[in-house]
Amino acid sequence: MLDFSAVLPYLHMFGVGTLITIRASIVAVLLGLAIGVVVGALRVLPFASPLRMLAAAYVYVIRGTPLLIQLFFIYFGLPSLGLNLPAFTSGVIGLGINSGGYVAEIVRGGIEAVPKGQWEAAKVLGLSYLQTMRYIILPQAIRNMLPAFGNEFVTLVKESSLLSTLAITELTMVGQQVRSVTYASFETFALVGLIYLLLTSVTSNALSWIEKRWQVR
Amino acid sequence: MAKAIRSRNLHKRFGDLHVLKGIDLEVEEGEVISVIGPSGSGKSTLARCLCKLEDIDEGEVYLYGNRIDDKRISNRELSGMVGMIFQQFNLFPHLTALQNVTLAPTKVKGLTREQSEEVGVRLLHRVGLGDKLNARPSQLSGGQQQRVAIARALAMEPKIMLFDEPTSALDPELVGEVLEVIAQLAHSGMTMIIITHEMLFAKDVSSRVIFMDEGIIVEEGPPYEIFVRPKQARTQLFLQRLLPHFGKTLVVE
Repeated sequence: MLDFSAVLPYLHMFGVGTLITIRASIVAVLLGLAIGVVVGALRVLPFASPLRMLAAAYVYVIRGTPLLIQLFFIYFGLPSLGLNLPAFTSGVIGLGINSGGYVAEIVRGGIEAVPKGQWEAAKVLGLSYLQTMRYIILPQAIRNMLPAFGNEFVTLVKESSLLSTLAITELTMVGQQVRSVTYASFETFALVGLIYLLLTSVTSNALSWIEKRWQVR
Repeated sequence: MAKAIRSRNLHKRFGDLHVLKGIDLEVEEGEVISVIGPSGSGKSTLARCLCKLEDIDEGEVYLYGNRIDDKRISNRELSGMVGMIFQQFNLFPHLTALQNVTLAPTKVKGLTREQSEEVGVRLLHRVGLGDKLNARPSQLSGGQQQRVAIARALAMEPKIMLFDEPTSALDPELVGEVLEVIAQLAHSGMTMIIITHEMLFAKDVSSRVIFMDEGIIVEEGPPYEIFVRPKQARTQLFLQRLLPHFGKTLVVE
């Protein structure tokens, strides 16, 4: 029968794993946002340029290849070029670069969803491209982006479980370790799943809260 | 003194569609011009070419002697010359009525917040919205939104105002309040081009009426000449089709 007491002695390990998952997720979200905002902004440049093409290529490659391969490439592949990164760093960078590709598309979509008339009104009033972006387009675009950001961040928290393949002792890795000691597979992964559910709930509730605040402003 | 507006042999194409086929236009300062004509005749495109919202394919456009159809002129310089009122208002939905009006004076002309708010309050009072300063566009009727848009354009103190079918998106009962504001402006001596389907208004307010069809200016003249004694068959046909009874009363007059 099910026996949850078997995993109780390892609770602190779950705690440590959860913290590592949280840390990796937060750093990767920030990295992904930074990359995504820049790449997304380049994608909507009003004139064709090498930067815009580079941004498009980035999104194309990131979205067209599995995250697992991207992680392997950074952790196992880059050392061949002489770039040795610690597992945690590799994992977070991989997650962040991956998320950046999706965030870029959200940013682009959010900006493009603002009606053309807004650009035109701003132009005739004499605002420059950057001023229009800052005062007119982005405040409206961010409102469009927030629900999609919520999705993206929740996805990222869940996908951080792939970091276990780089031998990082985040939550999923801890689960595997505890299972191999206790053989209580059901109980272990039920607990792991529950913790992920908690993390994703907090993430999406936080985003909903921000979304509501932004509507009021 | 340079003409307020001058275009020479202005051509505009959208792909294979030849929308403007050589428009020669001269507008003196203080003139109020109504542009009428069927949909697709190029009226809106003409207005958009006069404020650089469209790049032109051929010809030249001058505002007060400054050529505007090339890259050298900035949005900032242009905004002091010409203001545009759109059919769909294009207010900034995340800003209040007052913020809509004060944004450009602050960011483009460098006014302080106090200065631009003084201007904004004055202009919103002038268009009859002194009690709606802090309302968002979504809380305003279409007619009120268009009046905010007019105040917003005036805040940049342009010498010329272009109106691109300013009342076409409005419910009929809201048209009057917007036309009233435009008429006031016309009487104040502002140079204006009004693209409109409001024929009575065009007849009353303008010093000259231009009839466009298929990308050319077919006929132009004082309102009475165009509405009562149009010389061109195309103008006659347009007015008859649009205003069967209106045309007759005018002729009797």
